[in-house]
Parts: sequence; structure tokens; C-alpha cells
Amino acid sequence: MKKVVLASVLIASFAWCSGVPAATDPLYQKECASCHFGYQPALLNKASWEKVMGSLSEHFGTDASLGKEDSQAILSYLVRNAGNGKITTGNDTTRITLSAYFKRKHREVPLKQILQKEVGSLSNCMACHTTADKGSYSERYIVIPNYGRWE
Amino acid sequence: MKRLLFVVGLGFAGLHAGGFNAPMQAYMQELTLEAKSVDGAFSGFDAKRGESLFTTKHIGKKGTEVSCTTCHTANLKNNGQNSNTNKSILPLAPSANAQRLTDVKEVQKWLRRNFNDVFAREGTAQEKGDVLSYIITQ
Ligand code: HEC
Ligand code: HEC
Ligand code: HEC
Repeated sequence: MKKVVLASVLIASFAWCSGVPAATDPLYQKECASCHFGYQPALLNKASWEKVMGSLSEHFGTDASLGKEDSQAILSYLVRNAGNGKITTGNDTTRITLSAYFKRKHREVPLKQILQKEVGSLSNCMACHTTADKGSYSERYIVIPNYGRWE
Repeated sequence: MKRLLFVVGLGFAGLHAGGFNAPMQAYMQELTLEAKSVDGAFSGFDAKRGESLFTTKHIGKKGTEVSCTTCHTANLKNNGQNSNTNKSILPLAPSANAQRLTDVKEVQKWLRRNFNDVFAREGTAQEKGDVLSYIITQ
């Protein structure tokens, strides 16, 4: 019982602090978390996911192609859980990092912290957001490599 | 019929280490038949050719120089790192990572993607057989 209460408190606090539901689908984790961590479905809207899944053989300069069956299953998972909140507003591109909300939130992050080799680019969420894989982007859990906590 | 048996025989000769499980052996047979049908003089896969394919640089999909070792390093028993995303990659050598080269679907998928990334085209049956013959010995 205690565990359940703790879990709900945790979930509630994630929701308060810019959280999104974790990506728990096993096929999604297997296929879409092999080259980078699995971006949660709520970080892009339906139109964006359709574009991403429609161009996997030309995926940001790399070939991420899948068989038809797996690709269909993943698309329907993504569309079912696609976002419609602040972070996806006005963004129909294939990148989360191009959303206006995302850009505003990262405006103050110095370029040299992003370009260092431990991070590489803003697409590498896990490098700074230590709990990104759980869907939590709260400032409390940000640790920038070689610079430390953000707060 | 005789010819088919001969080709199948060649396929077995091509498996140097013999470390493949049954489904992977069947896949290597398929590659053997395909390589033979393209080149009548084909006489089995060669781990040495596979090694040189693995370590040589090519102009890849992005128009820049890249090789298989860019992500997997030249020592397949070590962790690699994805040069596009910085994510670390577990060792490719079956001796260091027992999961490797055990699942045909997984192997076909990554060979298709990785050949496209490195050669800007898919691999031929001979190239795929050669490189798998190299990796299985690592
Ligand atoms: C073969 C490697 C590979 C696989 C597999 C892969 N990706 Fe990617 N993905 C990349 C690369 C490379 C980038 C660009 C990263 C960068 O710019 O730093 C990327 C970026 C992305 C982005 C944009 C992130 C941003 O900048 O906002 C999304 C969304 C994405 N991938 C979704 C997916 C989905 C969904 C799948 C599964 C169907 C998938 N990826 C599978 C390599 C891969
Ligand atoms: C270089 C480190 C770095 C990377 C990489 C990074 N972020 Fe951030 N992120 C930050 C910092 C620092 C903040 C807090 C900025 C502020 O509030 O001034 C932040 C804030 C956020 C917020 C708002 C949190 C809040 O509580 O308001 C979200 C959501 C977010 N990031 C998502 C992402 C996603 C998704 C990715 C990957 C596509 C990503 N970030 C990549 C450093 C990073
Ligand atoms: C851009 C980075 C990159 C390059 C270049 C690359 N690979 Fe890979 N390779 C990967 C990733 C990522 C995986 C899957 C990671 C994992 O399963 O941990 C993978 C997986 C594989 C597998 C699957 C093994 C298994 O059974 O799980 C094989 C085989 C393979 N690569 C061979 C090659 C060959 C041959 C080349 C050169 C033609 C090559 N790779 C070039 C990134 C790369």
C-alpha cells in the first residue's frame, strides 16, 4: 500500500514538473531505443510521428528502416499516445528540438555545454536530463556533464 | 540436384568457426546460394575479406568517410559508440556478447542499415557472408 501511495506521489510530481508518460511499449523500446534513448510519444504530435515513421530509411542521415509489420505496430503506438500539449504546439516537423516551447526552454543553455563530447547535441536528452527515460524532465534532475546541477 | 548438393557443401565449408546456431546456418546457406548464382566462380566465404571490408573506409550515406569500425571500433570485444548519437554500443564479438549473430531478423536488419550507412548501398550476398564469417570468429 505504501508503495502504491509513493508511486502515485511520484507520478503526480512528474506531472507537475514537465513530465510525460514513460515509453513502456517493448517493441518501441527494442526498435526505437537502439541508437538513442526512446523519445516518449507525447513529445511529438500525430502529424510529426507520421512523418518520422514514413521516412525511416532516410532518418536524420542514417538508415533506421524496419519491416512493414513492426513499422505499422510502432506507428499505431505512437499515434495512440501522441502529444497535444505545450511542447508539441505549432511543431509538425520530425524534431522535438524544433518546437517553440523546446527552444524557449533551452535558450539559456550555453553552446559549449551542448557541443562538448559528452552531450553532442540537444537531441541527446539523457546526457543532461538524468531521468529522461522515465519521462521526467524536471529541473531537479538536470545534471550537465562537467558542469553539474542546473538548479 | 547434384549441383544443389555441391553448392550446399560449399556453404558448410564456408563456415570457418562453425559457431552459428541452426537458423543462422540456414541464413548462411541462403547467402551462399545467392553468391554462387551471381558468381559461378564463388568458392566460399572468407573471413579475411570480411575483416578488410569491416575496417576499410568508404564514402557513406552522409557523404563523409566512414567504416564499420567508426561505431564498432577495430576490437570487436570492446564497447563501441554510435558516431551519430554518442550512444554506446555493446560488443559485436560473440565471444564477448553471446546475443550477437543469433537472431536472423536482427542480423538482416542491421546489415541492411549499416551497409547503407557505410557504402551508401546494400551489401551483396558475398559481402554479407564474408563479414559475418569474420565477426563470428571474434
Ligand atoms: C540507426 C539508428 C537509429 C534508429 C534505429 C532510430 N533512430 Fe531516431 N535518430 C537517429 C539519429 C542519428 C538522429 C539524429 C540525432 C541528432 O541530430 O543528434 C535521430 C533523431 C530522432 C528524432 C529527433 C530528435 C530531435 O532532435 O528532436 C526522433 C523523434 C527519432 N529519432 C525517433 C525515432 C523513432 C520513432 C525510431 C524508431 C522507429 C528511431 N528514431 C530509431 C538514429 C536512429
Ligand atoms: C545540454 C543539456 C540538455 C539537453 C541535451 C536537453 N536539455 Fe532539456 N533542459 C536543459 C536545461 C538546463 C533546462 C532548464 C532550462 C531553464 O529552465 O532555464 C531544460 C529544460 C527542459 C524542459 C522544461 C522543464 C521544466 O521543468 O520546465 C523540458 C520539457 C526539456 N528540457 C526536455 C528536453 C528534451 C525532450 C530533450 C531532448 C530532445 C532535452 N530537454 C535535451 C538541458 C538540456
Ligand atoms: C553509425 C554507427 C554504425 C556503423 C557505421 C555500423 N554499425 Fe553495426 N550496429 C550499429 C548499432 C547501433 C547496432 C545495434 C546496437 C545493438 O544491438 O546494441 C549495430 C548492430 C550490428 C549488427 C547486429 C549484431 C547482432 O546480432 O546483434 C551487425 C552484424 C553489425 N552491426 C555489423 C556492422 C557492419 C558489417 C558494419 C559496416 C558495414 C557496421 N555494423 C557499421 C551501429 C553501426
